[in-house]
Formats: sequence, structure tokens, C-alpha cells
Amino acid sequence: MAVRPASLARPAPVAGRPFTLRGLLEREGVFSWLMLGPGVAFLLAFVAYPFFYGISLSLQDRPVTRPGVFVGLANFAALTHDAVFWQVTRNTFVYTIVTTILKLVGGMALALVMNQTFRGKNLARAFVLLPFIVPTVLSTIAWMWILDPTFSVVNWLLVHGGVITSGFSWLGNASLAMVSIIVVNTWRGVPFYGITLLAGLQTISPDLHEAAAIDGASARQRFVYVTLPILKPVVIIVTMFSVIFTFSDFQLVYALTNGGPANATNIFAIYAFNLGMLGGQLGLGAAVALSMLPALALLIVALTLYLRRD
Amino acid sequence: MRTRREFLTVTVVLGAAAALGPRSTGAAPKSMSVLHESSFIKAFDEFFVKKLALEYEKLTGIKINYEPVSVGSLLTRMTTVAETRSGPEVTATGFNWPWLFEQSLVDVTDLANEIGQKLGPWYDSVTDAVVINRKWKGLPWGNIGQLEVYRTDWFKEVGVTKFPDTWEELLDVGRKLKQKGHPFGFELGHGWGDNHGWLYPLLWSYGGREVDRDGKTVLLDSDETARAVDFCRRFYKETMLEDVLGWTDVNNNKAFLGEQISCTNNASSILVVAKRDFPELGRVTDHALNPQGPKGRYHLLNPQSHSIFTFAQDVNAAKAFLRWLYDDRQLSAWLVAGDAYYAPFLHAYDNHPMWNPEPRYIPYKESLKTSRLPGWPGPPSHAMSESMAKYAVVDMFAKACQGAPTKEVIAAAVLQLKQIYKAK
Repeated sequence: MAVRPASLARPAPVAGRPFTLRGLLEREGVFSWLMLGPGVAFLLAFVAYPFFYGISLSLQDRPVTRPGVFVGLANFAALTHDAVFWQVTRNTFVYTIVTTILKLVGGMALALVMNQTFRGKNLARAFVLLPFIVPTVLSTIAWMWILDPTFSVVNWLLVHGGVITSGFSWLGNASLAMVSIIVVNTWRGVPFYGITLLAGLQTISPDLHEAAAIDGASARQRFVYVTLPILKPVVIIVTMFSVIFTFSDFQLVYALTNGGPANATNIFAIYAFNLGMLGGQLGLGAAVALSMLPALALLIVALTLYLRRD
Repeated sequence: MRTRREFLTVTVVLGAAAALGPRSTGAAPKSMSVLHESSFIKAFDEFFVKKLALEYEKLTGIKINYEPVSVGSLLTRMTTVAETRSGPEVTATGFNWPWLFEQSLVDVTDLANEIGQKLGPWYDSVTDAVVINRKWKGLPWGNIGQLEVYRTDWFKEVGVTKFPDTWEELLDVGRKLKQKGHPFGFELGHGWGDNHGWLYPLLWSYGGREVDRDGKTVLLDSDETARAVDFCRRFYKETMLEDVLGWTDVNNNKAFLGEQISCTNNASSILVVAKRDFPELGRVTDHALNPQGPKGRYHLLNPQSHSIFTFAQDVNAAKAFLRWLYDDRQLSAWLVAGDAYYAPFLHAYDNHPMWNPEPRYIPYKESLKTSRLPGWPGPPSHAMSESMAKYAVVDMFAKACQGAPTKEVIAAAVLQLKQIYKAK
């Protein structure tokens, strides 16, 4: 039998009783809204308002500080004729898909290792979180040095290991620049996957694994038929969050390449920022930013439906 | 408070009291704020904070708050301030920004005329940037020039004692220096100043133009542009590191100071830092005007000005402050503190003592005569800013350096520019 909390089970004030602030607060409807109020106000102010303001901006020709002129979908239509926009779209999808796969695989491996018992486990867990904890801009500056053609430790190792004769231009070469930002994003994101999946792994009862082992299941079979199905909701949620964050990533790419060379690493958030803030075209910048919405909305709806179905 | 309900009651009552309590009256400002980009010359910022602001407060009782923002983020901060109509009263501006924020900036023609009469005349080139519909929307204090910065010792190694006068001559020298392990490093990536800083002048010096004076007719598709693009490709391949394609504004400074490159295009900040932190390197670093092409010699104009936001609480107080700041006594000392990093647009300062301690800065003054805003000869506009933000010209050159055919990169840039300038 469900038990209601005592505070909610109190009877409503009797009609005719004199009105008091205390009496008002005793009413469940009033009190619950008072409790919800700050959260709702926060969401309205910092999520809903900017979102709808962004939609409104995207439908206007709105140079900075000038009054906007409603242009309907003209900004979006203009983007369809913009070759850079399509390059940005391709880049964003490649960046998001590849990093998500790498982070998922890496994070899962990390979680499985961290779920074992070994000496210094807690310390290792703390260290694993470091890339996620360090401010992105700071860690990206470290990566700038790592990827520098002359001072790069990677180049140094490859050259001195006899693998190559001269260092790679990690950020100057269009293909390597994309590889570089993918590597840095993966490095930063793996701990998020690792820790979240580890939390999921720890909810799995060892009895299930033992039972499967007694039934003759191999380690691979135990992972595929026991661990993965139980972990699936966590995997879906963490992937959903990760895709959203990666799709709208800004700091890392801004600090490393700002979308260069020749737009090879330009992604939605960078292009939207440059158009809106540096180009002063707030409407067009908002349209680029909103172009992320359909893909993300589709993904969220699909994954949520999938979760519900299960 | 024993219960959460009591806590809530007290909070609600206090909140209501604060919201409904007495408001401050609209008194004259006791302080004003000035928004600036942090200067590469630390003494320039310090002089303002420790000397000018204190002096003005002593004189008028008005406290001046100096609000520096990191390099590269002033435009973002200005946008936020102008859109929310709250924040500092006075702001620094660069490039064509007074045009972007025109409707939010106060007409300071009266001040410009006063200052021009006392210390001028103003350089003609700067009026393009700050005079909009015959109204001055900013008071320039100096240009951050983009010139050639080079290693005199390495140039001597290949027999060059005077900086090459033409792009072709520079290419020849660069080829030899690269063979000796001293490549050039000119930014071709998505920075902001150091890429536009040499690519627009290169384009102009070959006769190429982005857009016509009407601001609508895109002129980029020309033989002159093709020649500039072809030259750039050779210049990149034969003299530079591959990495320059991914550089942003910090990289060429770092590469020069790290002795990776023998020549770049930059403001005088490299020499300033070299003299301070790497004296040996400082002794063998020099500046030169950009080389000339078949159609002349050009430089990029980046005038630093002060403007007043229209929503300033007391516009007259802000004007009075700028009038005081641009008085020779203050301005002159401030420019000296700036170590000639800013080349003033007032002819009275052509032979100012600020140029004496370090003659290697003098080319920055000389470059004012041939400096133009990005997008020139088109008028400064929102479209011009959009073109810069999309790196239309920079990426045209960068793609050619990556190996794309000249016709293809020009066609792509033209398509982009026609959309930006709404050309037919």
C-alpha cells in the first residue's frame, strides 16, 4: 500500500477558517507550486526564453542593434544555397558520429576495467575523470602544444621511433585536423561514458553472471546476453546526452582551429557564432544554430520511444 | 526557523520587501565604465588604470572603471552590451565596427572636429571606418598595423640586408630561407587579424577587389585575383610550413618567438615580446612594409577608436571624459605608454617623440597612408563583416594552397560573396 507523506496527508483548511499565510501554505496545490516555482522560472528564463527568442531571430533579417524584419524562412533558404553550410553540416555529422562511437567503445572498455577489483581502484577512478573535470579551454591549450608541428610530443615519438621522417601537420592538414579534433573530443568524453556506464554496471547483480557462468556461458556470452541488455537504458541515455553535447560542441574546436583550415573543421556552433557575433548577422546565425534542432529532436524522440518500448 | 514553511514565509516576505522597497533615484553617475580589449602592451592598460582613471576621478569625482576583455572577444562583448542595452558607457572599437553598431553609438562629430582642429587634421583613411552618414561615431586613437616581421640575421644568411620590395622578390628570398630550414609562416587559417592582415593587401596589390564602391557588385572574378591566388599558392608551397593553413592568430607569434619561422605578417607585438622576454631574438627582429605587387602596396586598416553607447546614463558626462582623454596632455602620454603599438591618426603626432626610442616601429606609421579596411573599395557595412566572418577571401587563398584549381576557388568565393552582398 502506498503511504503518503505526512505533510501531504494533512486535511485542507476547513471552509470558514480565517485566512492566514500558514493556512495558504498548508494547501497542497499552493505549496507544490511554490516548491516548483523557482525551477520552472529558471527553466523558463534560461531555457525556454532563449529557445523561443532564437526561433524568433532565425525568422528575421536582424543585423546587430538594428530592428529585425520578419523574413519567414528566408534565412534557412539562404543556407541551402550556402556551400559552407553544407560543409559544416557534413563536418558536424562526421565529428559527432565518429566521436560517439569511439567514446562509447572506449567508455565501455573503461567501465568494464574499472568494475574489476584491483589495488588502487579508487585512485584510478579519480584520475580517469580528470579529462572531464579540467576546463575544456585549458586542456585544449595543452592539446595545441601536443599537436604543434615542432613541439608535438606525438611527432617527436613518431620521428624518433623511426615511423616517419618529418612531423605531421596535425591542424594544418584538412584531414588530420578533423582527426585531431575527434581525438581530443574522444579523450575528453570517454570518462563521462566510463563513469556513467560503471554506475550502470554496478547495479547488475553478480548472481546473474554466476548463474550464466554455471550454465556454461563464456565471458563474451555473459557480456552480450547479461550485461548489455541490462545496461541498455544507461547506454541509450548516455549516448543521447553525448550526441547532444558533441553536436553543439564549441570550445574545443574554437580554441584549436576555429573551423579552419578552409572550413575543414567548421561545425554548427562555430559557424553560428561567427555569423552572429563576428558577422553581426544575428538572424542568420540563429538559423544555423537552429539547423541542429531537427536532427537532435529526431534522435531524442527515437531513443526515447525505443526506451519506452522496452 | 523551525520548519521549512517558516523559512519559506520569511523568504517570501523578504523577497517582496526587496522588490517593493525604495528604488535609487536617477542621480548623476558617480562612475563610468570603459570597455577595452586587453592590450598586448601591458603598460598601455596600466597607464589608463593607474594614471588616467585616477587623475580623472581626482578632477571630477567620477570614477572610471576600465573593463578589459581578452584579445578577440571585444566584438562579442560589444554585441552583448548593445543588444541588452546595458553595460559600459564607452567602448573601444576596431575595423568597421562603428558601422555595425551605428544605431547604438552617439554622434561625436563635435568632439572629432575639436580634436581635429587641435591635433589634426585626421588621416583621410580613418574616416571610412568611423564617419557614417557624415557623423563621427568613434574617435580613433591609433591603428594596429599588420606588417612584415622578419629575422634580419637569417635574411643576411641568404645575402639579403634590405627587406624585399615586391612579393616576387620576397618569394625568392623565402625559397632560399626554407631550403636553409628557416621557412616563412603567414597565417592562412581561421584567425581574425593575421590572416586578413596580409591576404587582403596581397589581393589589392595584384589589382584584385572583393566588391565595388556600390557595395553590391562583386568584382572578385578577375585576372588580377587569379594572379594573386596563383602567387599565394607558390608563396605557400615554396616558402612556408604546411601548418599555417590551420593557424589562428596566436600561432605565428608563437612560431616566430619559438624560432620556427623567419618571416610573418603581424602587429608589432612580436618585437615587443621578443625585446622583453627574448632579448637575443629582439635584436635580430625587424619590421618592413608589405611588399608591393603589380598594382601597388597595401596594408590592412584596423583603427582603434572610442565610441559612446546611446544608452549611456549620462552621454554628456561620457563626452566630457573623452574630450579630456583626447587632450594632448593625456593622449600623448598614453600613446607613449603604448610603446608605439598604436599608430595615431592625427597628423600632429607624425613626428611625436613616441616614435624616437624604437625606430623599428616607424613602418607602422608609414603604413597608414596605404591602409584600407577589409572589403575595400566597397563601403564598410554589415555585409563586409559577414564576408570576414565567413572567411570568404581567406578561404579562397587557403583552398588554392591546399591544391584546388584557381578558377574553382575564385568561383566558390564569388558565389559566397554574391550571396553576402545580395548581388544580382
